[in-house]
Amino acid sequence: MTAILVAINLLVVPLLLVGVIRKVKALMQTRLGAPILQPFYDIAKLWGKTETISETASWVFIWAPRAGLAVAGIAALCVPWAGVLLPAGWAPMTNLLLVLYLLALGKFFGMLAAMDTGSAFGGLGASREATISLLVEPALLLGLSALAIGAGSTDLNTIYKGAIHPLVALLVGITLICTALAELSRMPVDDPTTHLELTMVHEAMILENSGRNLAITEYAVALRSCVYLGIASQTLLHAWPAFGSLPLLHRYGISLGALFVLGIAVAMAEGVLVKLKWRRVPHFLTASLVCSLFAGLIAVAQR
Amino acid sequence: MQLSTIDFLAAGATLLAVWMCGTPGLPSLLRALALQTAILAVITMLLGLQWHASHYLWLAAVVLLVKAIAIPVYLAHAAGRLRIRRDDGARLGTTLALCGGCGVVIISYFLAPQIAVMPLGNAGAAGMALALLLIGMLLMMTRRLALSQIIGFLVLENGIFLYGLTQTHGMPLMIEMGVVFDVLVGVLVAGVVMFRLNRSFEHIDVTQLRGLRH
Repeated sequence: MTAILVAINLLVVPLLLVGVIRKVKALMQTRLGAPILQPFYDIAKLWGKTETISETASWVFIWAPRAGLAVAGIAALCVPWAGVLLPAGWAPMTNLLLVLYLLALGKFFGMLAAMDTGSAFGGLGASREATISLLVEPALLLGLSALAIGAGSTDLNTIYKGAIHPLVALLVGITLICTALAELSRMPVDDPTTHLELTMVHEAMILENSGRNLAITEYAVALRSCVYLGIASQTLLHAWPAFGSLPLLHRYGISLGALFVLGIAVAMAEGVLVKLKWRRVPHFLTASLVCSLFAGLIAVAQR
Repeated sequence: MQLSTIDFLAAGATLLAVWMCGTPGLPSLLRALALQTAILAVITMLLGLQWHASHYLWLAAVVLLVKAIAIPVYLAHAAGRLRIRRDDGARLGTTLALCGGCGVVIISYFLAPQIAVMPLGNAGAAGMALALLLIGMLLMMTRRLALSQIIGFLVLENGIFLYGLTQTHGMPLMIEMGVVFDVLVGVLVAGVVMFRLNRSFEHIDVTQLRGLRH
């Protein structure tokens, strides 16, 4: 049963989430938008296309996205982002520190590929991505540590088995949503549909990717969106004490519902918000750091 | 240690204070101040119900009316008259001020058990009250405009009020009422001074008061 759900999680849900986000965003702009299944077609189409590779690019450009996809896949497998807990034998793989730095490793491969093309925009995007991940890391680490202090273990399976104190869950949930927006290059931090290269972060990094390479990159991004938004929605859901003891399928259904609600919220925010000035991004992320710090203090005092 | 509702409310008030450190806009600063004071009024009310003492309920009502409604409205009115909307910190940028606020919270959290030898010994709320007090001081030291210094003073006063309320059984009603009205009069006087300052210098930037007028 767990195996089937994990397979659905890894193969179907990520692209579906991307499709839903795009559809809602289009509706917010009173456009009809592409069908919800469009990301699947896009991946299939890109897979068959020939690649155009910059002359200055080396083998790193070909292999870094593949390594990035592998790392994102492992992270998506280990994190219980849809309420499906892995069997106990996986314990060392579900440690939150490992997962956190696996996600960071995925970003490292993305930056490596962007720098390798020799394009000025790639370098610019990579440098901004590195800056953002530097700012995000303390908030993310502190927020998840607050959960770990509450559960008495850094194992994500243990954390997401019992209930989380509602206030801690709320504060960590806010932190995780804010950091997810920054990590996934979504609206207040970066505009994913911009056409001005100078203001892009993520899009500038994948400007040179095409064909199969682009398909792999897009898929890795979809997986990472699921992990970040999923872990935020799980944290908020566990404020409800009975959630951990529900039957697996109920828990799975509610988790997916919450994940898509969060995705729709992100898309709606994207229709309303304006992009932050680049200089204001640290301020936004420091605010989320404050939230996680308070969560940590409450978790320590509660113990 | 099991935390009570009062500890959580106190934590909420302190979270608002830290947020105020990183907020340049005066309207949102005043709204945060009003909300924070309203939280203190709720704490007062809850303690009154817990101790079955009706005079805390009167105190809560007065705090709510005077400190959470009248003073912020008056300050908002003053800000409107002086046509000022934001105050970028003078000595600390907003991000750095937020981090400073965080640091203050951590320090006071670990400091509070060292000094709180009070009959009630409510260490969680004591740390939060101490943090409020220190953040008020931080706001007063780092802001540029006279108006935000008044706001910093009010945060500081909230900290003292919270500490007194949660660590002892509070002062007698007369004294608490007197303090509340003292604060009101103090803010009114400071407002008058601020208007005079504005008329004489055409700004209320305290960092420029030491230089010669030009």
